[in-house]
Amino acid sequence: MLNADQIRSVLEERAKNRSVSDKKVADVREEMWTLHDKGELTVIPITSKNSPLEVETLFGWKKKIPTDYLWHHKSCGQCGNIPGYPASLLWFMNQFGTHYLNEPHQTSCTAWNYHGTATSNPVALAAVAVRNWYRAYETGTFPLIHCGTSYGDYKEMRKLLIENREVREKVREIMKKLGKDLVIPEEIVHYSEWVHVMRERIAAMVRYPLANIVATVHEPCHYYKMVPEDAIYDPRVYGGQRPAPPTSVLLALGAQVSDYSTWYDCCGFGFRHILTEREFTRSFATLRKIRPMVEEAHSDVLITTDTGCVTTFDKSQWVGKVHGMDYSLPVLAEVQLAALAAGAHPYKIVQIHWHSTPVEKLLQKMDINHEQYRKEFTEYLNQLRNGAKPELLHAPRLEIEKYFAVNKGNVISEETK
Amino acid sequence: MPQSSRVLVVGGGPAGLSAALDLSDAGADVTLVEKEEFLGGTPKKLHYSLIAPDLRNVDEVLGPLIERANRTSLSIRTGCTVSGVEKREGEFLVTIKELGSGKEKQQSFSAVVLATGFSHWDPHKKYEYGYGVYPDVIDFKDFEGMLSTGKIVRPSDGKAPKRIAWLLCVGSRDRQVGKFYCCRMGCVVSIKQAMEVRQKHPDIDTYVYYMDIRTYGFWEDKVYWKAMEEYNVNFVRGRIGSINRGDDGRLLAMAEDTILQRPSEVPFDMVVLATGMEASEGTREMARLFGIELEEHGFIKPLDADSMPVLTGVEGVFVAGAATAPKSISDSVTEGSAAAMKVLGYLAKRRMLSVNFSERAKV
Amino acid sequence: MVFRVSVMKALLGNKKEPAMIIAGAKESAGETLALAQSIFSQFRADFRYKEYVRGCLNCGECTTGCPAARFYDFSPREMLQVALSDDPMVLYNAMQEKIWACLQCYTCTMRCRFGNEIAGIISVMRELAVKNGLESTKELLKPYSRVLLKIMTTGNQVSPDMIQPDFFPDWGPSATSKQSELSLLRKAIPIDVLQVTDAAWEVSLQTSLELFEIYKEAGVVDMVAAVDPDLVEMIEDIVADWKDEFEEMKKEYDSKVKQDA
Repeated sequence: MLNADQIRSVLEERAKNRSVSDKKVADVREEMWTLHDKGELTVIPITSKNSPLEVETLFGWKKKIPTDYLWHHKSCGQCGNIPGYPASLLWFMNQFGTHYLNEPHQTSCTAWNYHGTATSNPVALAAVAVRNWYRAYETGTFPLIHCGTSYGDYKEMRKLLIENREVREKVREIMKKLGKDLVIPEEIVHYSEWVHVMRERIAAMVRYPLANIVATVHEPCHYYKMVPEDAIYDPRVYGGQRPAPPTSVLLALGAQVSDYSTWYDCCGFGFRHILTEREFTRSFATLRKIRPMVEEAHSDVLITTDTGCVTTFDKSQWVGKVHGMDYSLPVLAEVQLAALAAGAHPYKIVQIHWHSTPVEKLLQKMDINHEQYRKEFTEYLNQLRNGAKPELLHAPRLEIEKYFAVNKGNVISEETK
Repeated sequence: MPQSSRVLVVGGGPAGLSAALDLSDAGADVTLVEKEEFLGGTPKKLHYSLIAPDLRNVDEVLGPLIERANRTSLSIRTGCTVSGVEKREGEFLVTIKELGSGKEKQQSFSAVVLATGFSHWDPHKKYEYGYGVYPDVIDFKDFEGMLSTGKIVRPSDGKAPKRIAWLLCVGSRDRQVGKFYCCRMGCVVSIKQAMEVRQKHPDIDTYVYYMDIRTYGFWEDKVYWKAMEEYNVNFVRGRIGSINRGDDGRLLAMAEDTILQRPSEVPFDMVVLATGMEASEGTREMARLFGIELEEHGFIKPLDADSMPVLTGVEGVFVAGAATAPKSISDSVTEGSAAAMKVLGYLAKRRMLSVNFSERAKV
Repeated sequence: MVFRVSVMKALLGNKKEPAMIIAGAKESAGETLALAQSIFSQFRADFRYKEYVRGCLNCGECTTGCPAARFYDFSPREMLQVALSDDPMVLYNAMQEKIWACLQCYTCTMRCRFGNEIAGIISVMRELAVKNGLESTKELLKPYSRVLLKIMTTGNQVSPDMIQPDFFPDWGPSATSKQSELSLLRKAIPIDVLQVTDAAWEVSLQTSLELFEIYKEAGVVDMVAAVDPDLVEMIEDIVADWKDEFEEMKKEYDSKVKQDA
């Protein structure tokens, strides 16, 4: 097991060996701009307003990561069952004064359903993508994708729309019926890529050091296995041999990152299996991933960057106790761990009470007085019961937004924060 | 400009040595330029151990060529490269640079043989095989070097391995890394390495993971069958897809056994990646300087791969060895001789053409 | 009734059509072959077939990291071979159960040396199973109908109020006991659009209607109707009500704007 310092020194040496693959893959973004110039579609640009930072992807291509004026493309699984996940992200954005729009006029990418039941098709998936992207476009913001599967799906949809004229025309037709146009964001950006480029600023906020915390990383399949040429690789992280986020973030936070035998394995979510064939999902997650993380790597916490993975790992552990497997490995998104380390309220912000595998023993190891926080939260619930208004991370939606998608043009002002 | 009738051979490996020696034997004025301080090319540079199929030491195979080269009247310039080329009136004005001092000298040549060979593919680029992440994942050149020291130990802890795996076709036959072609040598070299291990250390178990075994011609029985029947080298039909951190500091090879049709995971102490062959930097640089086209896989394109394999598209420039395609030492030596023959024919024709018969007829 | 007739035909020795009872299939052998041939043609005609399916050496690199291959009688290598097979029955048989073992993780696709998109071609097979209303597919998707309802009306898949003890007992009491105070706990989330219990976030009416329009135009409603016509009827009723509500709200908003002006 290599600790953070050992990893760093090995990787610094490897940095000069990092080489770009010889693979002859076309960068689809080149064709995208060509189509934009021809008027076949409109690219939603990343401009200086978005304060972009540059990273490198698998083949050393440059990718712009916008850090301001963002449209939150929420994850249905996160918002439904792990609400502390998006809350932690928004909490950090508030700390940094990031301008963002979070609104009701978004559908999920619908890819969970697609991968689970195939009751959809490429045209529908592409049209759903464009509908969401258009909403960001007409509000003068840039879409930030929260879920790993949405991210993978949108990378595929971008490719599909650019490479396939027939699908493009069908989607254009549908968009016209909705009073919209064909748009594609200049980059498809996952929230973990925002966290990656902001990691030094996030690390500067750490109040509860993580030096004695051993983390194991699960890299979500759809982050790097779908359209693999578009994922962040950095020579300072695993010598550029494995995707950089979220390991880069953990290293910046000062945690120890431990390797284990099934690093590349899927979590077992399966899209369909997690709902209607869970004997598989919980067996797979426990035996193939959680057990090695605990027994080989002595992990204190499982860190990942996708909705389905957090759900699978967090929810699959309780039933294992029936077979004497009580690993009790807490599962968090990297942004949740970072928020806890930076002093965010474990219950009000990070919402750890929604996690089935208890997180409290991790908080204890981090010297966070979770009992005190729990008391505060119970008191807060009482206040809410008695009709108090909920505390919010950003201004609530307007009443009219229950029905209509208003707010076109450059909507975000300082007052909306 | 008078014809110099001098020949330049670039590259002192098997092909270059063969060409230079044959040309010199035929009386040509040959200059051999070699980048390294020694002759022998990649087999010597990377300390190859034994050469298949007879498992002879590399010095036994290349030694005679190198020794003869040192005895003849060849002008051998080691530690030098070609840094510039100008074509002037049918001659090549070549700048030869001494790497140590940086001194450059121009010389004119009538014909050139490019024998700048290949380099092994860099397996850092196949990320999931863990080269560069796990010290005990090594490649061909690492292992040949280790075999020639006589001590087989794990790079991580210096202990003797108990079980070694070979993974074939790393940087070959793979759209994912943009190297589609077969390297021709990976099978025979891997199996030869496994035999070497078993010869010296019969307690080490060896496994070769393959999609196909391409031991052509006499390699079939002399290497493949022999490895199985006399040395008990094991063969698994299926690929390793990722090499991970195993228990107790070992590696875990995640594979599929396609005969049993099931995934398999086996701990190994070391995994050797059979890294493929690509055109060396020298080959690509010479192609650029001499204006030679590269074919679709990145190697020097012969004028006709089937009928004129040692001619290039540039008159007076010939090519031999792994600079045109992956090949064995013996094929490189053969091509060196072929190129020498072509050069001699070319020089003779030029001499004949340069004679003014009408003038002589006046006498 | 139809099933029994087929069996009787077989038992009575109808030599022309040997009985082939395939999982859940109510059709006779002749009908099965015709259906298989039709599906085969649709499969080969799909624009993705040429892009996703290339050569195959049976090298197994795809299967090395496949999660399903370790637990099911399934491998991506097998699936690619099915995609290459010229025998319509091979495809048809695989579509009954095997194709649903795949987790869609895309490990195989990332690793394939030929560049085959195996997870993608499995999706194509699945879409055809749905489109053609295979009995086995209908059976498989039955427990999924609540999720289908949710996604076609809100675009979300699993809302907070769906984590009921009857459906997720193995997630443990911590997950399922939230139901008793779900509303309150959702209110305690510091993001207003998440303070609902019947969706992941509050989706605006306009957005729901736009989504349904997309589903209608892209042929998804027809696909779902092939496996669950009752569900589609239900959804269309819901959407019709919403359309009325939307028109009413529009009138109200327009008049309000006029008033404010």
